[in-house]
Amino acid sequence: MTQDISVIIVGGGRVGFQTAELLDDRGHKITIVERDPAVCEALTDEWLATVIKGDATNPEILAQGGLEKADVVAGLTGLTGVNLAVCMMATRLSPDTRTVARIDHGDGAGYEEFVDAIVYPERSGARVAANEIVGSDVQTLADVTGTLDIMEVLVEEGAPAAGKQLANVRFPAGTLVISDEDGDRIAQPDTELRPGRRYVVAVEPDVVDEVMNLLRG
Amino acid sequence: MSSHGKRAPEAELGLLDATMIGMGAMIGAGIFVLTGLAAEIAGPAALLVFVLNGIVTAFTALSYAELASAIPKSGGGYAFVREVFADLPSFMMGWLLWFAYMVAGGLYALGFAPNFLELLHVYGLTAAPGEVGSVAIPALGVGVPVAVGLAFLAVLLLVSLNAASTAASGSVETIFTAIKVSILVVFVGYGVTSPQFSGAEFQPLFPGDKTAFSILPAMGLTFIAFEGYDLITTVTEEVKNPRENIPKAIFISLAVTLVVYIAVVSVAIGTLGWVDLARAGEAGIAEAATNFMPQFPVIGNGGAVIVFGAVFSTLTALNAVVIASSRVAFSMGREGQLLPSFGQLHHRFGTPFWAILASAVVMLSSVVLPTQSAGNMSSLFFLLSFVIVNGSVIKLRRERPDMARPYELPYYPVPPVLGIALNLLLTGVLVVYLLRTDVLALLLSGGWIGLGVVAYYGLTTLRTSAEEAETERAAAEDD
Repeated sequence: MTQDISVIIVGGGRVGFQTAELLDDRGHKITIVERDPAVCEALTDEWLATVIKGDATNPEILAQGGLEKADVVAGLTGLTGVNLAVCMMATRLSPDTRTVARIDHGDGAGYEEFVDAIVYPERSGARVAANEIVGSDVQTLADVTGTLDIMEVLVEEGAPAAGKQLANVRFPAGTLVISDEDGDRIAQPDTELRPGRRYVVAVEPDVVDEVMNLLRG
Repeated sequence: MSSHGKRAPEAELGLLDATMIGMGAMIGAGIFVLTGLAAEIAGPAALLVFVLNGIVTAFTALSYAELASAIPKSGGGYAFVREVFADLPSFMMGWLLWFAYMVAGGLYALGFAPNFLELLHVYGLTAAPGEVGSVAIPALGVGVPVAVGLAFLAVLLLVSLNAASTAASGSVETIFTAIKVSILVVFVGYGVTSPQFSGAEFQPLFPGDKTAFSILPAMGLTFIAFEGYDLITTVTEEVKNPRENIPKAIFISLAVTLVVYIAVVSVAIGTLGWVDLARAGEAGIAEAATNFMPQFPVIGNGGAVIVFGAVFSTLTALNAVVIASSRVAFSMGREGQLLPSFGQLHHRFGTPFWAILASAVVMLSSVVLPTQSAGNMSSLFFLLSFVIVNGSVIKLRRERPDMARPYELPYYPVPPVLGIALNLLLTGVLVVYLLRTDVLALLLSGGWIGLGVVAYYGLTTLRTSAEEAETERAAAEDD
């Protein structure tokens, strides 16, 4: 089956936009619902996603994002209430859709009942900031160095590169498979990409889509 | 192990490059191969045929421009329709477009062969194409006509190239297009000043048994000469400032192409006369050129330049449709509308290997068809797919009124409705014409559509049972 997913992102501000950019690199299909016309204009110039102009808390607007085909709805506006409302509306209208809400306060423990996942951009940002302040040359996996993506990727059964040795796979320029399947050795040309195992891979944003195709199918 | 240079789409094509991609796909094979065949059906009115086709296709071009500006996806018509329609219609769109490109590949290969023979003939290496075309090769021990063999080899060569490594970049395409256009400019320049042209006779427009209705089937046949802008929208992600440049590139390339076509067809009819042009068939333009071009030093016969242009154009167009057809199959595989392996890159070559291979099978088989059948079938499928594209614009406006549309086509809903009506009219005329002259093409077309329906329901069943197995497994794990 195809690994590409279809995502509706509500809120095209900083968090929504950056998220869309990362997902677009990986080849996923994104629709952004955004209320502010000026932001909409800027988004269409970026050519990342289909843009719906309007207030996503209006069911008619949210439906225009293609709710029936969407795998995930992510409420990423700066307003916790809007994000929760959108996610709950999506669950009601299309029960199979996964929901992700951005929460900007509290510990979020109470919200799990209403949405499938919660993100705290401030906390993630704080972790990066702390790393930078300490000035460590070593970054943890979750953080991003420059534009490079360092990802842990699970090799899918039946993917083109599954079961192949590294030397036999033509990754696009700008790709480096870093670890072996146990994550305790540096990958060698004879390292086998075993399906069902996770590998640490460094990828330039331009080729993430191709690398995902090879590893995930 | 890894390749160098740019592989992933990157916004580096300007308005000129995007325009050139569209023109490169339109100017070239279509005009070289189909002018003679259009003259055969419509007589001197072949000129009108190209003009009217340009007008018909302009309506669909407007729809393409709106969709391309609003849906930020490379992949052309299929990607747009996929966004708008349910599974079956979008599958049919991909299926039709895929076939249109594959048969276009066959058509260009078939156009390549006689022009290549004409090139050899110009240098005195072989007899005239008409005489060679029917001769069998004794060396092979089988009765393969040389032209078919050549067409087959051309497809094989370009498919292998594309299967083994990724495609040439847009800037190469720009150079190719510039070469093609300048060769045609040389053709028109010499043609207009030639003594044959000064005595050219375009009257009567409809000689003998030709009537105004002869134009319609000829329009159907040559419609494929205008499909190039679909190709612009397959590289949208690589274009700078796409919301402005894509609509512009579509319109400019269409307008320039139309002007070039009018000039070339006028010269061809004016110098060779429509009777000889019709007789020369696929090599019509080349033969017209050989007729009036002067002798050059080194190159020899001046017509050789044009013949070279024809060979070059058909080969580059063939390359473009190998890429285009495999991209459609690749997108369909990604969307789960064809076997998933179609949507995967080959681990060794980094190319959509299976998509290219599957396209190659159909392309290679279409090489045995008469050129005219290939042209008719490809045009038929483009017409049908363009109907769906125009429909998408209407459906999208109704269902998603609040979608951001950086380019909105003017006078909605007139252009898409006219686009649908005119494309359907041409489809109808083409089908009636094929019923009389080319039942085989019609049967093959119907067969492909039937096969599509079978494939669609086959895949749906396959997927549903796979999903059920998955659900059962998940349920078993939960217990």
